[in-house]
Amino acid sequence: MPLEVRRGFVIFAAGFVILALIWAVRLDHVPPADFAFQNGTEPRTIDPHRANGQPEGRIVFELFEGLLRMLPEGEPDPETGLQALTPQPAMAESWEISEDGKTWTFHLRDDIFWNDGSPVTAHDFAWSWTRMLHPATACEYGYLIYEVHLAEQYQTSQVAIGDPVEVELWDRPGETPTSEANVQHFPRGTICYGILRNIEKPPEPKFEDGVSENERDNQLAMWEERWVYEVETVKEDPDGTIDWGEAGELRRFSISDQVASSPSVERTHGVLVPFSQLGGAQAVDDKTFVVTLNNAVPYFLNLVAYYPLFPVNQACVEKHGAPTWTKPENIVSNGPYQLRFRRLRDRVRVEKNPKYYKADQVSFKTIDFVSLESQNTAMNMYETGQLQWVYDLPTSVIEELRQREDFHSAPKLSVYFYKLNSDVPPLDDVRVRQAISMALNRKQIVEEVTKMGELPALSVVPPGIPGYISAQGLAENVDRAKQLLAEAGYPGGRGFPKMSLLYNTSERHRPIAEVIQQQLQNNLNIKIELKNMEWGSFLDTIQQEEYEMARYGWVGDYPDPNTFLDIWVTDNPQSNTNWSNEDYDALIKAASMEFDAEKRMAILREAEEIFVRELPIVPIFFYTSAEMAKTNIEGFAPSLLDMHPLSVLRYRDGTDRTTE
Amino acid sequence: MRDVLSYLLKRAAWMLLTLWAVYTISFVLMRSVPGNPFSGERNVPPAIERQLKARYNLDAPPIEQYFDYLTGIVTRGDLGWCTWLEDYSVNQVIAQGFPVSATLAIFALVFSLILGVTAGVISAVYRKSTADVALMSAAVLGIAIPNFVLASLAILVFVFIIQLFPAGGWGTLQQVALPALCLGLPVAAYVARLTRTGMLETLTKEHVRTAFAKGLPKRTVILRHVLPGALLPVVSYLGPATARVLTGSLVLEKIFALPGMGSHFINAATQRDYTLAMGMVLTYTVLLFVMNTLVDLSYAIIDPRVKLQ
Repeated sequence: MPLEVRRGFVIFAAGFVILALIWAVRLDHVPPADFAFQNGTEPRTIDPHRANGQPEGRIVFELFEGLLRMLPEGEPDPETGLQALTPQPAMAESWEISEDGKTWTFHLRDDIFWNDGSPVTAHDFAWSWTRMLHPATACEYGYLIYEVHLAEQYQTSQVAIGDPVEVELWDRPGETPTSEANVQHFPRGTICYGILRNIEKPPEPKFEDGVSENERDNQLAMWEERWVYEVETVKEDPDGTIDWGEAGELRRFSISDQVASSPSVERTHGVLVPFSQLGGAQAVDDKTFVVTLNNAVPYFLNLVAYYPLFPVNQACVEKHGAPTWTKPENIVSNGPYQLRFRRLRDRVRVEKNPKYYKADQVSFKTIDFVSLESQNTAMNMYETGQLQWVYDLPTSVIEELRQREDFHSAPKLSVYFYKLNSDVPPLDDVRVRQAISMALNRKQIVEEVTKMGELPALSVVPPGIPGYISAQGLAENVDRAKQLLAEAGYPGGRGFPKMSLLYNTSERHRPIAEVIQQQLQNNLNIKIELKNMEWGSFLDTIQQEEYEMARYGWVGDYPDPNTFLDIWVTDNPQSNTNWSNEDYDALIKAASMEFDAEKRMAILREAEEIFVRELPIVPIFFYTSAEMAKTNIEGFAPSLLDMHPLSVLRYRDGTDRTTE
Repeated sequence: MRDVLSYLLKRAAWMLLTLWAVYTISFVLMRSVPGNPFSGERNVPPAIERQLKARYNLDAPPIEQYFDYLTGIVTRGDLGWCTWLEDYSVNQVIAQGFPVSATLAIFALVFSLILGVTAGVISAVYRKSTADVALMSAAVLGIAIPNFVLASLAILVFVFIIQLFPAGGWGTLQQVALPALCLGLPVAAYVARLTRTGMLETLTKEHVRTAFAKGLPKRTVILRHVLPGALLPVVSYLGPATARVLTGSLVLEKIFALPGMGSHFINAATQRDYTLAMGMVLTYTVLLFVMNTLVDLSYAIIDPRVKLQ
């Protein structure tokens, strides 16, 4: 290299470093928000029909608003500190219920608008509920409203011969009859309506033994795609009404492009029940929304106030498509706040929505939902005034924090337990399951390990649900446990096979598992091996039911015992315990049909009685919340569902985020 | 100049080959790990899971997925939509995360170079003095202490005891300072030791003795005749240093709640975000490859003894 090049290079390199520094210095600084808090892991999406976690939920609750909204009622309970939240009028100002409890009529307010200025109507709700239930939206909360007429058939694509159906033709934007599907949440090609007359099925594939379940499912799915649906189509009037009685021509449809290559068969995305036309969620006029249920649901208003049933703006979603419609420059919403910007794994900034009908009562102008998983970092930022509320506190300092004025703690609707796989001997023996549960010392676990003020649990429904008293579980009793174990054929733990106890890798779960391991060893002489797995593998192992005992938790979706009990019925995808009890299944079913609140609670309690004697799971404790919020925030109080409506919070007069 | 060009072309070819290998291995590894992006505490009914898989082409046979995705990357530079972070495409995530990580890395590197070289020169010139012993002990500590320990100490001192910096977050120079410091210190320590060794070696060279003999002031000799030669090992260390700063920021981003690429990388893996994890692996491969090439190139330019091959 010539000398000049080297000299030049040094100058160039120096210049490059300076340029890089200049580039790095111009940071886009944003002023702090009025209120900022720890929102846990980065929200997966802010689409109300796709969201499923708490961090997502907190954002959706503020951006959108449903017919009703969970808001504080009365003062917090002086004993527990719990603030009662009840469904209260929001987009709907009033509602009526039919005598049999199956028809709900909601009347919408007149002064409600989307933030683009267009009015919010009952049609928005009808369309949004349809979108939520459409199979391609794949909303995980669809099951919540399976009692709504046709909802379950629609979401799970069930059709029967003789049913009225809707057929979506293969003509979404960019599709040709032989192309790949243009996959979208709630896509709409041309829809035809008709009566399903026949399904022609090619011979069902036969399986040899030893074909994996996955392969079998795949083959079956491909086979179903080749079905040909014969539909007698009916005419749609220009105003959108359909005369289901007037028969039209017979057309044949199939999902498979090979089958549809025959000239007599048209290609379709699917044949579904026409939920938008005949389903249980209909707009009667612009301001009246009627919901028809198959069976009365006593907690229906709680569901209506839950975010998956919040409306989205049809024009916006159709114009931009998912997920682009959720970008700050596109999104149209109707809640107390509107989206300003999203910085990944940093924060979601929302600002007050000026078009909101109660905008004058919303206090904070801007709110930051800070994506923060580390407990220590969150605590540091709280202590230095960067955050005003943290809910995930480091265990190491909890004793100290407990003494402070800004510490809040209250029972939560959430239970921690160990699943027992009833397919694995000796866990198939109820005496063994009872022995394991009775041999534990839960008090030691909550007082010496978790230390957050958890309550030892012997049943599965947490306390605090109005009108319900949990079943009395089997009390801890080491002598009785030993006796049961002996009766089951393992006197003194002799001959008991070595079992493993599975938990997901976490500083929270390890010490609990260790204590349980020790207690079982000391009290029953059972040897348990601890096994930890990273979260994704852990979930997979449980879903494959390849475990013996596994740590799990459950958070209630709505304040009703049913949310803790109906997951254990035979073949519920959430159970994974292989436990099955006919009486239990029958009671849960009976409870879902019973509209008298008192009787219903009694039935559910009866079911829980069976459950706590059968013990397909070993309950350990009920969670309590432990959070810190600055003392100058008014309206902050823990609630059973661990929800905090942010639009009712405000700073005490004369203070702001910088003052205490 | 021709050898530079042919060298660059050769490196580019190697990079493509490496990327392809990395893509293939990552693809196979990701598909063989249990779990999928749609599993959560609440199980998804099978019908719904099928819809979700169709959306991300995960229902196709693996070999078809392999080629479809590869074609998308090569022809359109499109890494696809994130499977977990579903409102974003991988390209958008990188576009948001890269500037943060780059800013942090630039500050950390510049800081470590300035501090490391200064310390190295001082301790070489005043060899065996108290300053030398102190600086070199500090350097040993700096190399030995992992940066998450350093970060905790720094937070304790600079956030709580002397309230100088905020505890975390991103957006102001103050917020960058502490993480950049923690990220740069171990590198600075290494640079200081390299500089010192290089200086001591060069100080014994004949041209240096000649310069002193000519009666040049000490300062001129050190800056003009000793330092350039002594810095060669430092330049060659810049490649590994960049790698260290880029990967080291994975931990620091978590501690200081910074929205950089590191946090995306870790979360993509644990959340089984196939496309995002792939995008991150490929981006890091490109970054490290390019940085190493640049360092090799500059090394060859500065040091006439080095030939590019």
